[in-house]
Amino acid sequence: MANILETRDLTYAYTSRQEDPSLDSVSVGISEGVRTVILGANGAGKSTLFYHFNGIFKPKSGEVLYRGKPLEYTREALSVLRNEISVVVQNPDEQIFSATVEEDVAFGPMNMGMERDEIERRIQHSLFKVGMEDYRYRPTIQLSYGQRKRVALAGALATDPKVLILDEPTAGLDPQMSQEVIELVEELISAGTTVIISTHDVDLAYSWADEIHVLRRGKLVYSGKPEPFFEDRVQTALAGLVLPHTFSVNHSVQAIRGLPEAPFPRTNSQMLCKMLPDCDAAGKIRLIPVSDSLPECAGEGRVGIYGSNVRRLFRAAGMTPDFHFNAVEHCLMEAVSGRDAVLYCDESVRAAVLERIQSMEQFGKCVEVVM
Amino acid sequence: MNVIETENITYYYEGAKTPSMKGVSISIRKGVKTVILGANGAGKSTLFYHFNGVVKPKEGVVKVMGEPVSYRKKGLTALRSRIAVVLQNPDDQVFGQTVETDIAYGPRNMKLPESEVKERVEEALFQTGLGDLRDKNTLQLSYGQRKRLALAGALAMKPEVLIMDEPTAGLDPQMALELMELAEQLHHMGTTIVISTHDVDLAYAWADEIHVLRRGELIFSGNSEDFYSDPMAVHSTGVMQPSMFVINNNLAAFRGEDPAPYPRTESQLVSKMVSGPKGRMTAIPVGTDTDAAALGRILDGRGDSKVGVFGTVSRRMMYDSSLPADYVFNGFESCMGECLMGRDSILVCDRDSISLIESKIQRLKDFGTEVGFEVRA
Repeated sequence: MANILETRDLTYAYTSRQEDPSLDSVSVGISEGVRTVILGANGAGKSTLFYHFNGIFKPKSGEVLYRGKPLEYTREALSVLRNEISVVVQNPDEQIFSATVEEDVAFGPMNMGMERDEIERRIQHSLFKVGMEDYRYRPTIQLSYGQRKRVALAGALATDPKVLILDEPTAGLDPQMSQEVIELVEELISAGTTVIISTHDVDLAYSWADEIHVLRRGKLVYSGKPEPFFEDRVQTALAGLVLPHTFSVNHSVQAIRGLPEAPFPRTNSQMLCKMLPDCDAAGKIRLIPVSDSLPECAGEGRVGIYGSNVRRLFRAAGMTPDFHFNAVEHCLMEAVSGRDAVLYCDESVRAAVLERIQSMEQFGKCVEVVM
Repeated sequence: MNVIETENITYYYEGAKTPSMKGVSISIRKGVKTVILGANGAGKSTLFYHFNGVVKPKEGVVKVMGEPVSYRKKGLTALRSRIAVVLQNPDDQVFGQTVETDIAYGPRNMKLPESEVKERVEEALFQTGLGDLRDKNTLQLSYGQRKRLALAGALAMKPEVLIMDEPTAGLDPQMALELMELAEQLHHMGTTIVISTHDVDLAYAWADEIHVLRRGELIFSGNSEDFYSDPMAVHSTGVMQPSMFVINNNLAAFRGEDPAPYPRTESQLVSKMVSGPKGRMTAIPVGTDTDAAALGRILDGRGDSKVGVFGTVSRRMMYDSSLPADYVFNGFESCMGECLMGRDSILVCDRDSISLIESKIQRLKDFGTEVGFEVRA
């Protein structure tokens, strides 16, 4: 797939540390639509790289390309670029400047010179997506850390970027909120956004990424699928990283069984699938895609919900599912363990959900989907 | 014995509509690895501020070692030398100009003799690996370094209770492992450790006891499994079930077995899933008086065995003398992984942590794994 973003021999040094560049000849290609994770220890250069992607920093040497064209660092060109590429920094305080939530979210669209109605639509939509619609008129200083983090994300969503770059999006969030952010990211990907994440959570990175890029002291030391990287223990250790749990447990178990490691399970359900005997039949998942209203449920088993729209409809109807968060995983585990399950999902993410269900086949279980 | 307990404490911040603490009665038991869980805004940090007297409850009592907290200056200084809180954001805590003066601040405040202050600063620098940065201006430190500095300041107090708010947040994975290993060593040496974290997998692997807060109320105190077995309670608190717990439950249900004993570490989970011939683990005890050259000679004879490291003293010695190690971080789990796969391994381990390693190996027997273990003289 074509590179939507690319750097060629990118070198950058902060003024105070000329002899010790923060980025040293980095050539990295971000493919369009590919779930991309940037890994590396504190200080490896992840944030510095992100600041080059949206043109905040200009390379000392080398170049940055967006859709094959080198970035131009004129004011107009940068303003156009930042409508297409949005970076959400780790600390929301560095990003939120306006007095109220509404003003902060409106800032980007207003800068883009949008019509009033469109700005209004975008404020509503992005606050809804991050679950902050009730806070629209709140002063930003009254918000908690998690709320500010979500407002910063809403501000980025409001510009409807083609590339969304999230620096440590789940750091400091509680587990459910983290899960909600990841689900939101999946919706954006289904809608065609390219998402790049940096994280210290190797388990999250491993379960989510199609492709990883690893930085070490300003140098790009790896680009590709996660497994070949983690198979190299020395490289992993030198990069300040550790093995994801799923990777490491699979490695040990298969070695003891004397079986090959591949296919590599990246999620709990895939792991469970591999560990259980394959002779037994899996349960079925009744998949209920939802657009505007909740259809009558006709299915056996525990119920999960997936997607921001379904979440809202359930809340409005006062219904409680068994699995509020990480529901695809939970329903898959039910099915793999031989029990039927029901999964309500937003119509917009149906294809991605089906793909995840079908992925179980390579781990030895065929989970049947009933629509 | 309870090192800290609160009786029915209630607290509200000025101007807030709802209280941040509502009738919380909690007991922190001596020597019990304790984790406080809860969503953002559930009251974890507010509770910690009660523990070291920064915040005085509007109602109710906080007791430390059985005595009600005295909020006079003298009482508070004494309290904070026994109970140290490390905040989530190091910028709220690091004030000294250099690394060394920042660490020395607490001990000096305790009016300790200067020789004792120096000794404590040295030890804290060593434990947190900040020795090379002692003269550095604190403003020039990276986030991870400031986070370690804040911890060093607390360690220099030699507290009986060490409370850490989100200690691993923002740290890279190796640093996070190093920190949790230090916490385990401190616990082993008798410090009571209380942490709050959003990382449920970490909490599950580490905690003896958890306390769960929801909107200022304490809704659970006890062992992790009892809490995670109640999905509705888990859901209502913003928490998720740990991966290990979920996998084990599904596995057990499928096999028609009792889910107990519950594995909390990778080696325990693997032991439950499969078994085969085991390798042996040899521990080499290391202290500050150990001769690095002699240790190097022992390791030269390691053959095919992988070498792991456990403990602050060992890690420093391996690093300073450039000795070969395969697993510098997560050394115990990695060496145990080798043994489970039928290969021998060597663990270079702080002398005072040998019994800790022994107890970890002992616990694996509950999961069906008996690994040969010897300590090299």
